[in-house]
Amino acid sequence: MAPLVQVEHLEKRFGEVRALDRVSFEVEAGEWIAIMGPSGSGKTTLINILGGLDHPSAGRVVVDGLEIGNLGERELTRYRADKIGFVFQQFHLIPYLTALENVMLSQYFHSITDEKEAAEALARVGLSDRLQHVPAELSGGEQQRVAIARALINQPKLILADEPTGNLDETNERVVLTLLHEMHDAGHTILVVTHSQAIGNLADRRVELEHGRLARISVPSLAKE
Amino acid sequence: MFLRILWKLFGASRGRLAVALIALTSGAAVCSGLLNVNLDADRKLTQEFRTLGANVVIAPPAGGSEAALADSSVLDRIAVLRLPQIVAAAPYLYVAANSGSQPVILAGTWFDQVARMNSWWKLEGGWVFSRDDRDHCLVGFNAARQLGLAPGSSVQLRSGSNNVSLTVAGIVTTGGAEDNQILTNLDSVQDLAGVSGRVSLVQISVLGSPAEIEGVAQKLAGALPGFDVRTVRQIAAAEGTILGRIQGLIFWTIALILVLSMLGVLASMAALAMERRRDVGLMKALGGAVPRIMRLFLAEAGTLGALGGILGFLVGVVLARWIGQRIFGVAIEGRFEVLPITIALTIGVALAGAFPLRLLGRVRPAEILRGE
Repeated sequence: MAPLVQVEHLEKRFGEVRALDRVSFEVEAGEWIAIMGPSGSGKTTLINILGGLDHPSAGRVVVDGLEIGNLGERELTRYRADKIGFVFQQFHLIPYLTALENVMLSQYFHSITDEKEAAEALARVGLSDRLQHVPAELSGGEQQRVAIARALINQPKLILADEPTGNLDETNERVVLTLLHEMHDAGHTILVVTHSQAIGNLADRRVELEHGRLARISVPSLAKE
Repeated sequence: MFLRILWKLFGASRGRLAVALIALTSGAAVCSGLLNVNLDADRKLTQEFRTLGANVVIAPPAGGSEAALADSSVLDRIAVLRLPQIVAAAPYLYVAANSGSQPVILAGTWFDQVARMNSWWKLEGGWVFSRDDRDHCLVGFNAARQLGLAPGSSVQLRSGSNNVSLTVAGIVTTGGAEDNQILTNLDSVQDLAGVSGRVSLVQISVLGSPAEIEGVAQKLAGALPGFDVRTVRQIAAAEGTILGRIQGLIFWTIALILVLSMLGVLASMAALAMERRRDVGLMKALGGAVPRIMRLFLAEAGTLGALGGILGFLVGVVLARWIGQRIFGVAIEGRFEVLPITIALTIGVALAGAFPLRLLGRVRPAEILRGE
């Protein structure tokens, strides 16, 4: 069976700057991958290209059989709606929509909205009593849980999380990590960008970048066990 | 979900949208008011014009002095036609008379008809109200100065071997030939000149556009064979020109107001677009297609336009009544057909003013999510 994600000799240049330089790796369906590296190493650029938010300058990226570099704007939009669930460090919720509506917005762009299903998704992340709250009325941890419910609502092939605990305190970090664990256990494929060695250790594999290049792919000791 | 998001967009941006709504409502109010005035302007203005003198003159064919007089039954033949466009018809009989040694033109007419078509005449003293009043006359400004007459003074007039004594009711200033004449009732002049039942000409005031006036003249000519029926072309053409200019002025004012409203909306929407860059970037990241996102914003602008159009129409009706009262002395009633025109124009302005929101389709989600 072909890997869910194939990255081959991926390059991304911003003018003279080479953000990604001939990066290659593969991700099997159901894997939890931690993408690690210092600031400016190209982690977010890699996630953006995998998520169809940016175009590669060279190389191949294939996700679920689709070569992203060949997709036009309209097809990329459809790709994001159908196959990708995003979780951002800054949560990125629409401020004037309630928690429930933020989740339904993702349904709306994917196909049709189902309020009951959206409420259940929020209940699964422990927010059944926060459905009608707008983001400003939610804590950071709660907002990130709404974002996770939103990422999962359309059953995406790939969940891309960019520093999902970067803006959270220790308690909320644990809650989010537990949710990531549950998603992984449920068979979701997860790519998490993180600086945290602790989170990196929870992944099945770690893809480490340095100066835009693939430094190493390693298997954390916890995963080995 | 579409309506749900739309409703939330209104709630989230109510301040900026209120500014845009005020701009749209103001523009729509002026447009609606002027459109109502425009629809009524023809009628009101031609009515006004009909107080500015005759625009059709009927005269007997040129010939000898006796042949140049028409039988006053011509007025009955005009009346029989029952032409609704005819506002007034005044017969005139002109006689050369003397006041002492001073020659003067004496004009006999019907003052009630003269008053209806010459409201701009300046009058010092009183008017002659009854066709049976054989004792009073009006004297033109120049004639009064020449003969030393004032309201209340008496004047003895002689024509041939007949004399008549009249009391001056008032002095009129017309800016025309009447300033040199003495005007009194038709019957008195006919008796003085010994031409009972005869008139020199009939002046008619006809309501309508130059083409309509010409049409009435043709009907009159058809009904009065042998008579010379002429439109006073300068007056008809001047009325047509004034109407055309007023309509042009209204059209360009509406266009200008719409452009100004659009600039007001544009300013609000430009600020709104800046506020919404992040939301649009996020929506695109979540798989929102640009046309689907833009439909939300255009529906928002369209709804705002429709609302502004309805509110503006209502304010415009009040405005039209006020303009009508101030300018024509009669309230102009709001016309229902102006409502869809106003709404359509305001929606168009709102959509044009929402141009900055349409530019949001170009937002690159990766840049927005990076916080650029």
